[in-house]
Formats: sequence, C-alpha cells, structure tokens
Amino acid sequence: MVDRWLRREDERLLTGAGRFVADLRVDGCLDAVFARSEVAHGVLREVDCSAAREVPGVAGAWSAADLPGLPPMPDAREGAATREWPSLVRDRVRYPGEALAVVLGDDRYRAEDGAARVRSRIDPLPAVVTAQEAAGLGHVALRGEAGRPIDDEVWEQAAVVVESSYRQQLLMPSPMECRTILCVPGGDRLTVWSGHQAPHRLRSELARLLDRPEESVRVVVPDTGGAFGSKSAVFPEFITVAWLAVRLGRPVRWIEDRRESLLVATRGRGQDQHVRLAADADGRLLAYELTVEADVGAYPHLGVAFPMQTAWMATGPYTTPQVHATVRSVLTNTMVTYPYRGAGRPEATSPLERTMDVLATRLHLDPAELRRRNLIPPERFPYRTPTGRTYDSGDHVAALDLALRTLDYDGWRAEQARRRADPAAPPVGIGLSCYVERSGGEKGSLHDYVGVEAGEDGGVVARCGAASSGQSHATVFPALVAETLGVEPARVRLIEGDTDELPGGVGSFGSRSAQIDGAGLQHAATLLIEEARERAARLWDLPVEETAWSDGAVHPVRGTAAMGLSELVKRTGPLRIDERYEADMAFPFGTHAAVVEVDPDLGAVRVLRLVAVDDCGRALDPAVVRGQAFGSVVQGLGQALYEGVPFGDDGVPLLGDGLLDYLLPTYAEIPPIELGETRTPTPRTPLGAKGAGESGCIGTPPAIVNAVADALRLDHPERLQMPLTPDVVWRAAA
Amino acid sequence: MKPAAFDYLAPHTVAEAVDALGAGAQVLAGGQSLLLEMHLQRARPAVVADINHVPGLDALTVADGTLTVGALVRHRTFGSPGAVPGPLGDLFGRAVGYIAHPPIRARGTMVGSLAWAHPASEWCALAVALDAVVEVRSTRGTREIPAGDYFRGPFQTAREPDELLTAVRYPLLGPDTGVAFTEHRRTGFSFAQVAVGAALTVRDGVIAGARIGLANCADRPLRAHAAERAVVGAGPSPLLFAAAGEAAAAHDAAPVPEPYADVDYRRHVIAVLVARTLREATPV
Repeated sequence: MVDRWLRREDERLLTGAGRFVADLRVDGCLDAVFARSEVAHGVLREVDCSAAREVPGVAGAWSAADLPGLPPMPDAREGAATREWPSLVRDRVRYPGEALAVVLGDDRYRAEDGAARVRSRIDPLPAVVTAQEAAGLGHVALRGEAGRPIDDEVWEQAAVVVESSYRQQLLMPSPMECRTILCVPGGDRLTVWSGHQAPHRLRSELARLLDRPEESVRVVVPDTGGAFGSKSAVFPEFITVAWLAVRLGRPVRWIEDRRESLLVATRGRGQDQHVRLAADADGRLLAYELTVEADVGAYPHLGVAFPMQTAWMATGPYTTPQVHATVRSVLTNTMVTYPYRGAGRPEATSPLERTMDVLATRLHLDPAELRRRNLIPPERFPYRTPTGRTYDSGDHVAALDLALRTLDYDGWRAEQARRRADPAAPPVGIGLSCYVERSGGEKGSLHDYVGVEAGEDGGVVARCGAASSGQSHATVFPALVAETLGVEPARVRLIEGDTDELPGGVGSFGSRSAQIDGAGLQHAATLLIEEARERAARLWDLPVEETAWSDGAVHPVRGTAAMGLSELVKRTGPLRIDERYEADMAFPFGTHAAVVEVDPDLGAVRVLRLVAVDDCGRALDPAVVRGQAFGSVVQGLGQALYEGVPFGDDGVPLLGDGLLDYLLPTYAEIPPIELGETRTPTPRTPLGAKGAGESGCIGTPPAIVNAVADALRLDHPERLQMPLTPDVVWRAAA
Repeated sequence: MKPAAFDYLAPHTVAEAVDALGAGAQVLAGGQSLLLEMHLQRARPAVVADINHVPGLDALTVADGTLTVGALVRHRTFGSPGAVPGPLGDLFGRAVGYIAHPPIRARGTMVGSLAWAHPASEWCALAVALDAVVEVRSTRGTREIPAGDYFRGPFQTAREPDELLTAVRYPLLGPDTGVAFTEHRRTGFSFAQVAVGAALTVRDGVIAGARIGLANCADRPLRAHAAERAVVGAGPSPLLFAAAGEAAAAHDAAPVPEPYADVDYRRHVIAVLVARTLREATPV
C-alpha cells in the first residue's frame, strides 16, 4: 500500500481557489447581524429596533416580538428540565451574547451599523457559570451512571486509595472558519449552503422547523474551514436566517465572525470531577470511581447527554475490576456545551491518567511500570468493561513500549536525575498518558449511506454521507475505492455534502468517516465487482465462479479477454451500488508522552518534547492520519497550557480582545512532536480502520500535566488545574 | 467586526496632516492598533488621516549624541544590526523581538506605539527609562514633552487630540553601558504580562548609572526609580539585584489584576524579571 495518495485538495486550497460559504456570491443577498445581550442572565424588558431600521442599507430589523411565528430551537427532551430555547430572546436572557434582534443589511458593514443602533433594556439577574454552583440551585438536566456502586470495604481494605478533584475547563473549538449559513429561496425550494458536519440532519431539522417537506430543502456543504464538533447542530441564528429568507423571499446569509464565535459558539469540556482510585500494594488497580458535574450551558439540548460518554469510557485502558461513574448535567448561564474534538473522552482520560501518576508516586513505582501492570492484554479482547463498553481490539503495552522508546524514556529519566543533583539546573519532568477512546459513534449513528457507480466513460463516482471540513475525503475516499476496484485513483471522484446528490447521510463527527464511510465504500466497491462479474457471466454464458476481477476489469478465469467497466456499462446498462452500511463502534488507543522544563520562579512551562503513539487500526492514508494526529496534539497542548474561558463577576466571558484573550497555541508554541503508530485493525469491519484525529486532544493534556507535576515533584495533583498558566504553576511550585 | 463608516484622508505634508488633526481626524500610521479598535468599534473616528504618504517621517537619524526616530519608522527597523549605534541599538534590538509577530513588526511603528500608549508596550517602557522626548506638532506650533510627563494612564498621554506625534528622541548610551530586555508572556502572540528593560553603567566595579523601564506593571509605563536607587553606587551582585527586584515590585510597580495574573503573581514576576534583567545587563 502506498504511503501517500496524491492529494487533490491542496492546489485549490493553497492557491486561494477554495470556495467557502462566505465566498459564494448571490445577487441580492442580505447579510444578517445579531444584536446580542451584553449581560449573561436577565429579564428582557424591551428591544427597540426602530433606529436600526433607519440606517441606510438596512433592509430590516426584528426582535422576537416582531416575529411571532419564528420557531424556537428543536425540543431536546433530554432529562427532566425542559426549557424552550427561542431563536431570539423573548423574555429571559440566559447566556451572554444571546441574540436579542436580527438586522439584515445590504452587506455586513451596514447590518453591523444597524445592529449597533438596536436598543434594549435588560434587568440583570445573578449569573451562574459553574456546574457546582448551579447544581446547588437544582438546575440538574440529566443524571446518569455507568457501572455499579463500589462497596465501602473495597476502599477500606485497599493498600492505597488516591482521591482527587479535577476541572476540565471550558474550551472553544476555534475552527479557522466560524459558523456559516447562506439560505437561497427559489420557487418551492430552499437551498442552504453551510459549513456543516451533518448536512442531512441540518436539512431534516430545518424542514421540520420551517414546516415544509424535506425534499424542498437542499443543503450543500462547500469547502469548510474546520469544525471540531462545533458545526454539527442547528443553531438559533440558523433558524432565524432560514426563516427570514423564506419569509422575505430573498437570499440571506450569516457569516459568524470571531468575536461572535468567542461569545456564542458552542464550547467543549466543562466538567468538575472527583475521583477515587484504589490499588493493592503491587499496584494492581482494584476500583475506580468518577463523579462528574457537567456544565452543559443555558438550555437543555443534545449536549446534555454527552457527559455520559465520559462515564462509559471511565474504565480507560486498564483491567480495573470495579468502576463506577456518575454524571450530573447542570444548566448554567453559559452558551451550551457541545462536542469538541474528543467529546467526552478527554474528560475520561485526564482524571484517570493524572491519578495514575499520583498512585505511582505513592507506591514508589515508575509510572510506566504501574501502567504496564494494569493495561488490558491483547488476549483479553473483545474486552467488556465495568462501565458497559466492549473494546474491539488492542495491544496497549505495545503502544506504551513504542512511546517509551520513541521518547528515549530512560535517557530522560537519567537527565532528570542529573538535573535534580544540580541546584542551578531547571527541573525537567516526564509525563505519560495511556488512553483508549471510542470512534464511529453511538447506537443510532453507526451507519451511513455509501454508493459506487461506474460510468460509460470509464469514470467511477463514489458517494457517501460524510461531510469533510478539512479531513481530505476527496483524496482518501476515491483512492480507497480505486484501490478496491484496481483502477487508477484519478478515475474515481467523490460526491458528498450535497443532499440533492445523495439518497441519505449521517455526516462526519465522532471519528466516524474513515471507520464507517470508508469501510462502507470499500464494501460498496466490492459489491460493484460482484455485480460486474454476474453481468459478465451472463454475457459470456459462464458460471460466475468462472469469472474473475483484476485491475478494474472482469475476465474469464480461463482465457485472456477482459472487459473494463466502461464497456460493461455500455453493454449492460447503468451500474450503481447504493448501500446503507452499518458497523459497530471501535476503540482506538495509544500512549502519549511529554517532557517539560519548568521555570519555577515564573511558573513558565516549556515543552521540550511530545510523543504521540496512536493506533487507529488500518490508516487509510498515513500522511492524512499524521496530519490529524499533529493538529490534535496541538489542540491538546492548548487545553493543557493556554486555553480557557475566564468569566467576570457578571458572568460574561473576558474575551473581548478575541484571540488576544483566548490564547491558541501557534507556531511559536509548538514543540518538537514525534508521532508513532501501532496498527491493530478493528475486527468489526473488513477494512479495519478505526477513527483517527481526536487522539491528541485525548492523550496529550494529561501527559503534559503529569510532566509538570513530575518536574515539580508535586504530591497534590489538585494544585495543577488546566490550563497550566504560569501563575497556576508558580503557585503549585511554591 | 466591521468599522463604522469613516472618511479617509491621505495628507502629503506634515502641515496637511496637522490640519486634518485639527479637524478631528485620527492618525493612521502602521494601523496595528487603530484598525483593530475600529473593527471592534471601540474606536469610531469620523476621519482617518493616513500619514504614510508624508515624506520625511520615515527618517532615522543620529546627530550630536541623539537618536531621532520619525513617525513612520517601522518596528522591524530596530531588528537590523547597526540601525542604531552602540548599546541603545543593542537594547532596541533585544526588545523588538517581543513585539507581536513579524507581519505586525513590518507595519507597526515605534512612534505609533508611543502615541497609542498601551501599558504593556515595550517601546513605552524604554522611552521612560531612557529619558526620551516626544515631539508633537499642531497648528499652534511644535512642542517637546519628556517621556516622564507624557504618559498619563492607559492609552492616555499629554498629547492634545489635534497634535501629531512626529518623532521621538533618545540620548545615545555610552559604551560602558550594558543592556538587557526580558519579557514574560503567555504565548509568543500575547502582550507582556511583565516586561523589563535595563541599561546599567558600571565604572570601576561600581554601578554608576541605572535605567530600568517596566511594561505592564501599572496603568502606564514606569521607570523603576526605587530599584535604580537600590543598585546605584553598589557593586553588581545577585543579592543586590534581588533586592532591586523586590524594590521594583514593592515600591515602583502598581499592577492591576488580569485573568491568569493576579496582583501577587504579577508583583512576584516583576521582582524576578528585574533581578534577571539587571544580571543580564551587567557589562562583563
């Protein structure tokens, strides 16, 4: 197999020829800008759009009171607490930046001038921005658990019990392109262009909200500049824009800018956690308990149940016989929490891996050795965890060993000893993190539409329900189909992200595209070969088993005559396979390692080295997988050291200077990163691919935090809460 | 993030620029602060006067022991070895790398930073430490303001709204002066949490003169007089520099809390950085 398939996206994207929603020019299109609440929580007394309507170039301005028919967000029906989420605030502001009014203008400049003239009066109420505080007020939207409660005597009789609390801070997914939607009504149809992860879901939700047949809505996903989970839903702004476009009979678009995005885009993580981990004197894990208080934001919505992902994955990669996880999802006054790259698995990995290092210290065991004693061995797969998952396959010790070798673990331990003997040398620390995650999705989304069609011209069209937001589907999927058929990759082209071109689709999220759509496309190509052989057998009046397939052509087993797809289609008619492909979830895994140097006087952390060994089964295109791994390691670095959402006393995020306040790691912060792979295919599809791309967000943060704790020789893990900003590290070191 | 409507003027002489300011225009030089503020609609000037077409404002001259930096001299100029002679050039060269990113250093100007007066500005801290003098012009004439009197608070200066900041002058530093600049920030893209610039003159093993500038240690750039007093007349030593750091933190600085840096932490960082900067500035 090739190491690198010829990339198809690069020339277009690198020469500025990409076409994102904001690049699409539609005559008469209006730009939507939202007037937003500057308070986090309050009673809305009045919204006055009259001055906005007087601004030249403003086509209209509306508050909720002006639009009685505007539908609210879809009812989430999650948990006990139900609370309608209006598309424009009706009477109560529940998160900062919530939209009070919409202004449509000839362009964004004019619409912003209009929005600046919308007047509102809000009587502020106290804002609650942490789950613990909100839980005290009874705002619990969901309670859940995984595993069984652990008897007190397990804790009482264990040789060691480590107990600790952790905060998984709120993070912004921060795609380069913020959210986009362009709605173009025409005749009895509505065409919606959106940078989106799930076009069919968006179509069905918009159709239902607008009370029109699904077939009358077409959703198209053009080039999309990243998503990381933040573009998989319908949003209040989407509903408002689509509804106004239909009502006015004019194209309307909303191109979210960075300032809006930092205020009102969905955020990830947001959990307060408490753990207990028990082990015997040899370091064999006996029991693990995880308690999660999750801030799910201001309204009940799909994200209310996502913290259960953390509970189900609480067991991690270890043979711990008893594991119990409980979750409370709590409503607060923040914008809603939603999947962000990793989506529940970073929140499961981080507390366990932090606590493993503390346990190693208490037992005077090397942290690598402690993990080795507890990792699930290859022969135990499929492995059913106490928290209800059945892991498909794995060789965790192999990944750990490769990470240690790649890092030169022993060499760094020697360097650490040398520095500890030299009072002038800045301390270094080494951190490990072993993870297992889930890819493919949950029940109900473990399938997708896939199709392969051969044309008379010799070309092959592959179709699938995935939607790329930068994951190189246009390179990988045609090449995979070409490899299966034995034709040149250039003969195959991919169609995805257009509901008119596809009979159905689920989308791209939860690390599912390669695993489900990839396996599905391979399956569809295999069915196409079977169909071609059957047709050739009929033509040649041979039994099917007397035909064979190679190099994109069918031929008799005996003899030399071969018939290519083009000729077959000319002689036998259209040849197209459409399938609903379904496969079970899979469990990628790996080990990440970090070496850091700490300046204890300033609390500054310098990451000297990161190693990420990931196992995603079969890597379809190793170069694409490495790109995914690299990017997600950098986002993991962001959670560990830089990113967070600080709030003022009024509950408004202190992010007014945009990305000067919300610090993403950029090239100056990226340390040397070395990637390694082990390959344990999933037995759950013939292709063997597991999801790739979320690993760094999952494995890297605890490796870095462990390394800092190791450098400072900290016994109290609670003093290091992410992000490890210099003040946090300085205080922990003091 | 679109600016409010504004008119654009492109004066071709200082006199035209000054007239525009008299009529209420705001100056556009490098645009690295003003344009961001306009996009955020925190600045809504009715008229912007783009001085990039005014000849002569890009001059960098040395005469009679004085460096004069014109209003259009870009940050990156100071990254070129030899652009400014002696230890002063060395100090500017050390500081300039901490200013944002290369594209910003290619557009932004030193004088623009002084006009903007961000409390975290590297150039503003050095201006007060080095006894710089800013030159402002208006229809009423030209006047010079010592840097020590010029900074009044965050983004506030002694410049009147109709005055154009045309140049800044610095006395050159003697050859027996050592310099250093250190900065603590969260990422390479961030503003300084604390930055310290220092020039130490040592004669016969004794510190004969000290200039210490602090960025983001108060609501305006500071000269660390208490720290300077702690070292002048003594021989350089780690203990002395630590004491100077403590003096700067306790007596010179007046830090305000920021997210991820409360007052205790910022005072501590000031003490550490002042000591380190003095150690690095000590001529060998």
